[in-house]
Amino acid sequence: MASSSQFKQLEKLGNGTYATVYKGLNKTTGVYVALKEVKLDSEEGTPSTAVREISLMKELKHENIVRLYDVIHTENKLTLVFEFMDNDLKKYMDSRMVGNTPYGFEMSLVKYFEWQLLQGVAFCHENRILHRDLKPQNLLINNKGQLKLGDFGLARAFGIPVNTFSSEVVTLWYRAPDVLMGSRTYSTSIDIWSCGCILAEMITGRPLFPGTNDEEQLKLIFETMGTPTERTWPEISTLPKYNPQLPQHLPQDLGALLQSQTREKIDSTLVDLLYGLLQPNPERRLSAKQALNHPWFAEYYQ
Amino acid sequence: MSKTVQRSISGQKDSAASSIRITDDDLYRHSTQYRFWSFTPERLAQIRSDVNARVTTKTQLDMKVFLESHPNLTQDELAAIKVKAVPVSPHEELLLVNYFARMILSFAGKMNLPTEVAATAVSFFRKFFLSNSVMEFPPKEVFHTTLFFACKSENYFMGVESFAKKAKTSADAVLKHEFKLLESLNFTLMNHHPYKALHGFFLDIQNVLSGKVDMKYMGQVYTNCKKSISDALLTDAIYFYTPPQITLAILLTEDEALMMRYMQLKFNLNVDTSSANGQKEFKQEDPSAINAERLLEIIKSCQAVIEEKIIPAKDDAVKITAKIHYSQNPISVIDRLKRQREASSEAATPTPSESEVKRQKT
Repeated sequence: MASSSQFKQLEKLGNGTYATVYKGLNKTTGVYVALKEVKLDSEEGTPSTAVREISLMKELKHENIVRLYDVIHTENKLTLVFEFMDNDLKKYMDSRMVGNTPYGFEMSLVKYFEWQLLQGVAFCHENRILHRDLKPQNLLINNKGQLKLGDFGLARAFGIPVNTFSSEVVTLWYRAPDVLMGSRTYSTSIDIWSCGCILAEMITGRPLFPGTNDEEQLKLIFETMGTPTERTWPEISTLPKYNPQLPQHLPQDLGALLQSQTREKIDSTLVDLLYGLLQPNPERRLSAKQALNHPWFAEYYQ
Repeated sequence: MSKTVQRSISGQKDSAASSIRITDDDLYRHSTQYRFWSFTPERLAQIRSDVNARVTTKTQLDMKVFLESHPNLTQDELAAIKVKAVPVSPHEELLLVNYFARMILSFAGKMNLPTEVAATAVSFFRKFFLSNSVMEFPPKEVFHTTLFFACKSENYFMGVESFAKKAKTSADAVLKHEFKLLESLNFTLMNHHPYKALHGFFLDIQNVLSGKVDMKYMGQVYTNCKKSISDALLTDAIYFYTPPQITLAILLTEDEALMMRYMQLKFNLNVDTSSANGQKEFKQEDPSAINAERLLEIIKSCQAVIEEKIIPAKDDAVKITAKIHYSQNPISVIDRLKRQREASSEAATPTPSESEVKRQKT
């Protein structure tokens, strides 16, 4: 086990869901790391979020998931030693704004990031783990263009079926409509919706559905994707927060909508993938594996 | 729009099916449960004996220091120490660990904790004593820690205060060894218990033997097997076999005829019961299928390990706990001897060690 003296603590990188993250230097190897410091709450011992993150990260060894190297215990804190990544997707997108105008990425970079994101998500799902909080801030990138999933503080392992989650997970903008309507049986499809939102955001540089509360979030989703009906989503009326008086919107042309916000070419294959990821009905949403086999990624798997 | 999507989805399903599938076996081999916590019986015995030897050496050194610092002991006293103040053996350690591990199950039941939480607590507890000795950490102290920590890692939220209250202990006692536990587990907390495999097989048996089994009966089989799995978690089968193997072994014990029928249909197990001497012959028909004969062999060996279960009596636990106490506190052997002398000089019956143990337990 490593000791804390082995690492030199450098600048603060940010705050995670339950901890402060610093950049650190492994003095023996000269390798940079991310040190996630968890205050040991004398009242409850190790926070259960940290316990869960350690539990999951120890199982997940994949090139698109940030690696947990070690756990160090000092008197009143626990330090999780993670692989260091230069940046996160949120900061990277912000850095590309010109004045107040967001700019999306070149299509080749969008594709490379989305491919890696789906690879990481597919691996989690194969291991029966839901991330539940996918958002640009939690997607870490480095100067080699690698993208890795980080912050598993809200993630959890699932059996089948998963039915005991509260709906208080996943940052609002990337939250699936079934979760917003109080579905308690959601599964891997919850992460896929987030992957769809992130894909659109990488293209335009703007969040696709920037709602400020649950109702507005649903409204924004349905205005663009169309209001679901019993025909497009048979079990919708059984959802706890389903509102039968929802204003009826027809689906907009997502391709045209995105095309108006980027100079990159939005082709029909990409639009087809977006529709597959952003199906309001979770049953009809693609799985991560299916998405990776989508023709838009043909250049990677052929 | 919906047309495009439909086409896309069905199209993708086809191509996904044709891509290489990762099997659950591959996944299991990547799990920390397999990588860190699966052993051969020899290796497991070695681990246990190493842990015991480390602390035994230390206890013997302490004893030497004690004897050197007490040069005036009588022959009687020295003899009593030689007999009483002896470190416990690896087997005795195992007995004590198993005794408390079993108690975790019943205790969790009384606290109405979910089965998976209880199972994980048992697993944590037993693994803790693969790197620590009962002579270093009294199992009684680690008992509540593992149960509370299992609640955290299995996502079953419970405040430490309310846990301590229900468990009739203090929050400090519950948390005292928490990090030691985390460290001893090598930070690997994910447990794959056979309950999920049982559920899977239960559904599959109904499917494969559709119309040939009584549903009500199957429900009973399921309930019995669930109970047997909890018992199997107290055996070393968890270190030697995978969760589905353990599940199949338990199903086989529960209803051999049913399982043989299932395995015939599912894995092409060839059962020739017509042999005059009653011996069964197994043949494998489909080379691409699971080797059913080999599978049955593994399941039967797993069955044997499960049946070897050790259920220590309370008396054993009390005796071993007393032994640990004496080996670490040789002075208490002398004290006891003195009390016995006084008692017998008053013509009273010597007290059995029970009362001594009760005293040190509090």
